[in-house]
Amino acid sequence: MAHLTLRDVRKTYGHMEVLHGIDLDIPSGEFVVFVGPSGCGKSTLLRSIAGLEEISSGEFRLDGRLMNRVAPARRGIAMVFQSYALYPHMTVFDNMAFGLKIAGLPRREIRARIERAAESLQLAPYLDRFPKALSGGQRQRVAIGRAIVRDPKVFLFDEPLSNLDAALRVATRIEIARLKQAMPGTTMIYVTHDQVEAMTLADRIVVMNGGSIEQVGTPLELYRTPANLFVARFIGSPAMNVIGAESLGGTAVALDGGGITSAAAPLARGARVQFGIRPEDLVPAPAAGAPFRGRIALVEQLGEVQMVHVELDGTGAPLVAKLAGTLELAAGDAIALGHAPEAAHLFGADGDRLRPAARSAA
Amino acid sequence: MTATAEHAAEDGMGPAPRAPWAVIGRAMLQALLVAMAVLVLYPLAWMALNGFRSNTEIFNDPFALPQHWSFAAYAAAWQNGVSQFVASSLLVTGVSIVTTVFISAWAAYGLTRTRIPGQPLVTGFILGGMMLSPTVALVPLVRMMQDFGLYNTHWALILLYTAFRVPFTTFLIRAYMLDLPRDLDEAARMDGASEGQIFRRIILPLCRPILVSCVILHILFAWNEYLFAMIFTNSPSTQTLPVGLTSLMSKHGTDFAQVFAAMTISALPIVIVFFLTQRYFVRGLTEGIGK
Ligand SMILES: Nc1ncnc2c1ncn2[C@@H]1O[C@H](COP(=O)(O)OP(=O)(O)O)[C@@H](O)[C@H]1O
Ligand SMILES: [Mg+2]
Repeated sequence: MAHLTLRDVRKTYGHMEVLHGIDLDIPSGEFVVFVGPSGCGKSTLLRSIAGLEEISSGEFRLDGRLMNRVAPARRGIAMVFQSYALYPHMTVFDNMAFGLKIAGLPRREIRARIERAAESLQLAPYLDRFPKALSGGQRQRVAIGRAIVRDPKVFLFDEPLSNLDAALRVATRIEIARLKQAMPGTTMIYVTHDQVEAMTLADRIVVMNGGSIEQVGTPLELYRTPANLFVARFIGSPAMNVIGAESLGGTAVALDGGGITSAAAPLARGARVQFGIRPEDLVPAPAAGAPFRGRIALVEQLGEVQMVHVELDGTGAPLVAKLAGTLELAAGDAIALGHAPEAAHLFGADGDRLRPAARSAA
Repeated sequence: MTATAEHAAEDGMGPAPRAPWAVIGRAMLQALLVAMAVLVLYPLAWMALNGFRSNTEIFNDPFALPQHWSFAAYAAAWQNGVSQFVASSLLVTGVSIVTTVFISAWAAYGLTRTRIPGQPLVTGFILGGMMLSPTVALVPLVRMMQDFGLYNTHWALILLYTAFRVPFTTFLIRAYMLDLPRDLDEAARMDGASEGQIFRRIILPLCRPILVSCVILHILFAWNEYLFAMIFTNSPSTQTLPVGLTSLMSKHGTDFAQVFAAMTISALPIVIVFFLTQRYFVRGLTEGIGK
């Protein structure tokens, strides 16, 4: 049971500010994912929470207690490192026992805890092995086991899957989701740059960019009502299409390049906006009056669906549509696409969302 | 040399037919290696074997093998001070190994793992000690040791060997520690380990290869060191082997059998150490300097 409160947390290295005032509340037992492009400060924020980095200014509280100057081991926080950071000269058992021995736990208690963790992580046969004699997935589980045995209030993961191959990544992702279910009271914070991991694991996602938080919300909130263009482009795969546009008054919007379409809510006439539409919200439409007309540049057929890369007539701007795999499409064909008015996302010139759009057709 | 020889041996295992020039090249390489080995080993063997002969035999036919093996020369050398010199050498080398390697490892840990103000300066200061010539520092050192009352004691040598070898040893260990992933320290910190525990239980065990190399390099240095030993000690009870052997030669200079025996005794430990540890030696050294 632990809730975290961050207030105007800043971190500077020399003269460079890496975190620009982070405000965040994480309730007890929540699984929160920090997601954002590489170098946006996710690890720095996570490490500040862990206590491996000292916060330059601001406050970090754990259950109301100020943690700024508390040593990492006294925060009740455990961390799984991207590199696993297993001690190479110790057996799996000793790796897990290290922290417990230092904490001065009785030998029997240590053994009991490790055996319990090893059982649940399927590590029991490997306790006497050294890390170099384990596979990547096993090492990953040892790293998790080392964190579990300390019985932490908060569990931190820094890109734990990035060293695994694709198949193992999916399996381990599921295992982490199970781990969360088995420890409902434990707050977990998970860092990744992969939005699929974020969407599938998180109770709530924190989208970061350039050292600031762009938006906090449940996966569906972020998907349906992104607060700004950055979040709109970052969440969802393939990324949302964004096209410059001008309001014609009412719900009518004139897209750069000639198409005319309608948004869900009315806008002031003449306003410059950014019009966003997700690839999966585009559907084939009759050529006459279709807002998007162009030529197919490339088709990526995935079986169930196909990613159709279109070059728009007029501007030549790229547009991606996710269409049913059964449609017969080929590069070079002309294509016309439309969408439901509720699926449109509108952003102002500054990139912020203009108004909460209605639900997008999923 | 060992590495090259191993390489040649590996090459020979391939079953593939070889071009004639490759065979010739390999034969020439092996001949060269054998020649070099003979060049190094022959004088040593000659010295050791002549220790088993008498002085007259040596003068009659210097290059003959011993007819009957006599330990008289070895025994005489041992009693004429070599036992004391060996003890001194063992003590000085042994203690200065511990002090040098421990201080250097601590220093390297500090230089690579902590944030201290002016760290590059401190690093430069410590490593700059490698540039210091012992000869230049002799006069002040003699005065210092006399003032400390350490002149003509083992402590003088232990202190000097430590002081002069810490920079180089730190340099080697530091290079190795720089390559150890920082995540390990951080994981240990999350586990609640103090700086001392991280050093002793994580970093030091992982540095074993380079520590072994440093110990061997230090043995080679301290066992053979002559200048300091000659200047800072002057009695048989404090002299180490290199100095002791010289005084033995000036006293029993005409008894070649005894001199050879003494020299063999003094060389033996180092040869044994080298053969026991040569794998570590070659690997650790290249690893440490490699990056
Ligand atoms: N020890 C450091 N010294 C200076 N700059 C750092 C340090 N650690 C990280 N940074 C900088 O802080 C920014 C954020 O880094 P990081 O938190 O690792 O990003 P992420 O984990 O999101 O990829 C990067 O621009 C990085 O260069
Ligand atoms: Mg990172």
